[in-house]
Amino acid sequence: MTTTLTPPSTATTEHRPVGRAVRLVRVASGIVVAVAVALPWMVNAYVVSLAATALVMAVLAMSAQLLVGLAGQPPLGQAAYLLVGAYTAATLATLTNLGPIHLLAATTAGAIAAAVTGLLAVRVRATTFLMVTFGVGELVHAAASQWVPGGSEGTHTPPVVALPGLPPMVRPGWVYLYVLACTLVIGAAVIVLTRTRFALLLRGIAAHEPRVQAAGHHTSRLLLAAYTLAGAIAGAAGALLVAVTRYVSPADAAMGISAIALAAALIGSGSMIGACAAAILLVAARDWAGGLLSGHGSTLLGLSFLALAYLPRHRLAGLFTRRDREGT
Amino acid sequence: MSAPLLRLDTVSRAYGARRVVDEVSLDLHPGARHALIGPNGAGKSTLLHLIAGTLRPTSGRIHYAGHDIHRWPAHRRARAGIARTWQHPTLARPLTVVQNVLLAVPGQHMAVLRERPRASAAALDALAQVGLAEHAQWPTSQLSYGDQRRLEVAVALAAQPRLLLLDEPSAGLATTEVARLVELIRALPTDIAVLLVDHNLDVVSAVADTVTVLHHGRHLTTGTPSDVRAHPDVRRVYLAEADHTDHVPTTPGAANGPSAAVPPVLRVRNLRAGHHGAPVLTGVALDVQAGRVSAVVGRNGAGKTTLINTIAGLHPALSGTEIVLNDRLVTGLSARRRCRAGIGLVPQGRRLFAGLTVAEHLALPRPHPGRPRTVTARQILDLFPALAERRHHRPHQLSGGEQQMLALARALLAGPQVLLLDEPSEGLAPAIVGQLAAIITGLAATGSAVLLAEQNLALALDIAHDVAVLDRGTLALHAPAADLRADPARLHDVLAVPTGST
Repeated sequence: MTTTLTPPSTATTEHRPVGRAVRLVRVASGIVVAVAVALPWMVNAYVVSLAATALVMAVLAMSAQLLVGLAGQPPLGQAAYLLVGAYTAATLATLTNLGPIHLLAATTAGAIAAAVTGLLAVRVRATTFLMVTFGVGELVHAAASQWVPGGSEGTHTPPVVALPGLPPMVRPGWVYLYVLACTLVIGAAVIVLTRTRFALLLRGIAAHEPRVQAAGHHTSRLLLAAYTLAGAIAGAAGALLVAVTRYVSPADAAMGISAIALAAALIGSGSMIGACAAAILLVAARDWAGGLLSGHGSTLLGLSFLALAYLPRHRLAGLFTRRDREGT
Repeated sequence: MSAPLLRLDTVSRAYGARRVVDEVSLDLHPGARHALIGPNGAGKSTLLHLIAGTLRPTSGRIHYAGHDIHRWPAHRRARAGIARTWQHPTLARPLTVVQNVLLAVPGQHMAVLRERPRASAAALDALAQVGLAEHAQWPTSQLSYGDQRRLEVAVALAAQPRLLLLDEPSAGLATTEVARLVELIRALPTDIAVLLVDHNLDVVSAVADTVTVLHHGRHLTTGTPSDVRAHPDVRRVYLAEADHTDHVPTTPGAANGPSAAVPPVLRVRNLRAGHHGAPVLTGVALDVQAGRVSAVVGRNGAGKTTLINTIAGLHPALSGTEIVLNDRLVTGLSARRRCRAGIGLVPQGRRLFAGLTVAEHLALPRPHPGRPRTVTARQILDLFPALAERRHHRPHQLSGGEQQMLALARALLAGPQVLLLDEPSEGLAPAIVGQLAAIITGLAATGSAVLLAEQNLALALDIAHDVAVLDRGTLALHAPAADLRADPARLHDVLAVPTGST
């Protein structure tokens, strides 16, 4: 066979360094998890509660990444499903303060809301998809200010309990560890999802949709399933938000939140871990470093968007994506 | 005879007032090998789209295996056993070769983490059928053009179809690859019906038992390949014009021997380029002179497109490369500056702007003010009368031939001194190839320098003054076209024998 551009021998040598990169990434992620667990004992309570907020944003970024990174359709309304999840958790808090129940209920509510509104979104693609999801997000935002208990003032909720029998989590350290555990579980589920045949078909849709149709798949139905799953993840992020802030208001569905989730997903260029890392960086830039610079949070956020866009992020994210793809 | 697997009943498709497919009726029985030929713009691809469900007919019925499927969406037709390939490779680039095939393997569960052994085996089987099993784990973007075409076929076969639609499977393939494609189609199980569109009449005669000729969307005739070739109307619309261009009078006398007195417009020395670190071109040297057509031929994957793109500045050249245009070294310049300096490119696959009309395409290019404007849009439209009637159409509404003419017109408007043509005859009917040959010869006669990378040997020999063969990254043979025309065996020796390692 002589008809290929590169002889096979060079191809095998080219693939070898990836093995080393995989090991490097494994060691690095082990260190990251260890540091994340030890964080409450290392920094003050304010930073710990910020870190918990950053984790919530990381979950929301994974929700956006499922749509833009896999299926190639950019969503600009994921915060709407976060709000649905958050209000579900807040309503449920009058009956029980068990966190995992909130989480499950919020996930289901997010999925149902996304399945219904997704019927509108999956009829269109690309920029129009962005417009439709933005429109849906704004409608949910407006509806929430009008009708939810507490109105635009929002409602306060009691602290949640991680497991039956444990005391309510009041101290930020415990809340943070609970959110970290939930994020890791959700993250693991999402990584498994990205290795399924379903994810392969979504990537096929992103590359050339007619080809996936010609292979006998109803692509709009596949996209609706992806949209529903993304809504479920965003709903779960809502329950975690309530656990962190013990407060929910329609402002949590503001367009800025959806925009940060989408931006983090785009910066992560196709990789779930990249999206999480970008979300944490963006929250750090907005709230933590911005606080140090006396309220220039949005300036810093804008600058970090620009910096991350011009950095060689494809190469950075390539470390993770290649690992993701090797598993499929 | 059994009931037909596919029956088209007066199927039409109109774009506005223009009927691209006009009341075509056709029967395909199980196991049929049916070819669809016709000049560019005859509606062949549109007809395949109508059968596959990418487009719906504006009138008429399509019956398949006892069902009226003309309202079915594409995915439902695919599940019923209709598989297709595209005219230009439309593979999922970020995925690996085997993943592309796995997309099409039926009967798999959505939630599986690892493909079932049966599915993986089916995918590898399909790859082995087209001879790509060794490249299963490669990123699709690293495959050569010819291999991408074969992957298209593998993807279609993996779906285990009852009806296989092939849209110009031989376009852009070299002679040896075409022979393998013919073998592949002949070796298909006899229960698969095949409907193929192709311009290569040798492929059609070798593969098909029935041929249908379309012309301006209408059914012209159906018969055995030899009947159809002999049909007077077919000869008139499809072949006859091509016959006379087989003997395009190439520039007489001067064709032989390099005219040493004239300095070359484009001089390339020691051109080296690679893909992902693997060398593709190692030390290519060639001259292109004003008023002459130089052709580069070679198998797919030999590096013709890389050569053209490196000269145009779209592919990075490695150190040591020397590209000189009119005594000016342009190696370090960007593609934009090279274009200004006078290098014009007509890329493979035409690369037209999807959203722009013909008129807008022609309004875009401007020659650099420093150089005299050689042609105006009006002169171009005189050269390509077909485009004048299509001024307000967008590329997807044009036939393959019209698209190629538009790509050529766009390049000419920038007033290039050297015109680089990458596979201009790909996917064109013989008659249109004849027109194209006449246009290229005409351009050279008016003083343009033309560098042509071409798979179509007959065309290259016809219109070029000298021919170079690209093999294993370098020019293996460089000779005046007249010599090679007299002694075609020389060329076939270099081209047909696989010379690389296995």
